[in-house]
Amino acid sequence: MRAGWFWVEAASRLLARDEREAVLGDLLEADERALPALLSVLGLVARREAQQWKSWKPWVASFGLALPSSFLLMGFSVSVSWMFPQVLHSVLEIEPKTNLVLYCVRHLIPQLLMLTGCAFAYGFVVQMLSRRTLWVSATACFVPCLFCLTRFRSESLSWVCLFLFLVPAAWGVREALGGRRLGVHAAIGLAVGLIVLQTLTSNSSWLNWLFFAQLLWPAWYMAAVAPKRVQQT
Amino acid sequence: MLGEFEYLILTAAAGLGDQAYGATIREEIEAATGRKCSIGALYTTIERLEGKGLLESWMGEATAQRGGRSKRMVRVTGEGVQAAKGFYDAITRISSGASWAANRSQMSEGAS
Repeated sequence: MRAGWFWVEAASRLLARDEREAVLGDLLEADERALPALLSVLGLVARREAQQWKSWKPWVASFGLALPSSFLLMGFSVSVSWMFPQVLHSVLEIEPKTNLVLYCVRHLIPQLLMLTGCAFAYGFVVQMLSRRTLWVSATACFVPCLFCLTRFRSESLSWVCLFLFLVPAAWGVREALGGRRLGVHAAIGLAVGLIVLQTLTSNSSWLNWLFFAQLLWPAWYMAAVAPKRVQQT
Repeated sequence: MLGEFEYLILTAAAGLGDQAYGATIREEIEAATGRKCSIGALYTTIERLEGKGLLESWMGEATAQRGGRSKRMVRVTGEGVQAAKGFYDAITRISSGASWAANRSQMSEGAS
């Protein structure tokens, strides 16, 4: 009996705190046996989970953002990582220091900023749109990561390079926890900054813009939904 | 228009008054319908009714019988009363020509 209730209590942890209190109390009051109680709790958890998916937000977060953008951000991470050997090459092979500084300022730093900004906005918007279905979005992000990891073959780059974007993305998720929003000025600043960096650093082919449109829309979405006054938490 | 289960919850909650919370509403519904009332259906419907403004709920006291867990108390709002009344009237009107409803009125006449 007690062992059975352990599982009921464990399953009820998937419910919100108040609901958990009420449901477990009702089950105890009704003197339910452990198995029907467990099924009742799991039934409620399943209904709650299904309810989340009635909205467009978790769909967009998981399959419109987390899944496709993780592929793109991995590609971007690798492309930024390729710049480091080039920098080393310029230090070792090409003589003047000015070349290195110029190269960093022109290429490496903007690309790093761009990757950080895009990944931050990605994490922030994924968390914002799918607060209670974050585990699905996280899965949609990690499945492409595993896929690429198993196919990643490079002698000069470590596999870690694939996942550079995960650090700023996790930062974005953390910042959006508890329903926090970026202020309107910060959000617009980020969105405009990314466009400027994109214009400065890449060629103007439409394919390139299409690639970056998928990476840039989260920043513009953040700007569009940003509150005029930042929420105090 | 309310759904059948929504009406059952509103009616049970209205009948229970200050004692309306998850376990008692569930008991009332099971007693009235003779069917098992799942906790999942009950709580998601309570939330939906709350969203429509037909019910209001709050966390109540904890009792030893409930292992020290709080109750989710429920109260029917004015709008809820109107909605339940509308549903009841519609069911009464549409049932007037039905054989089971006619039998029922004959039975009640016989009893009086």
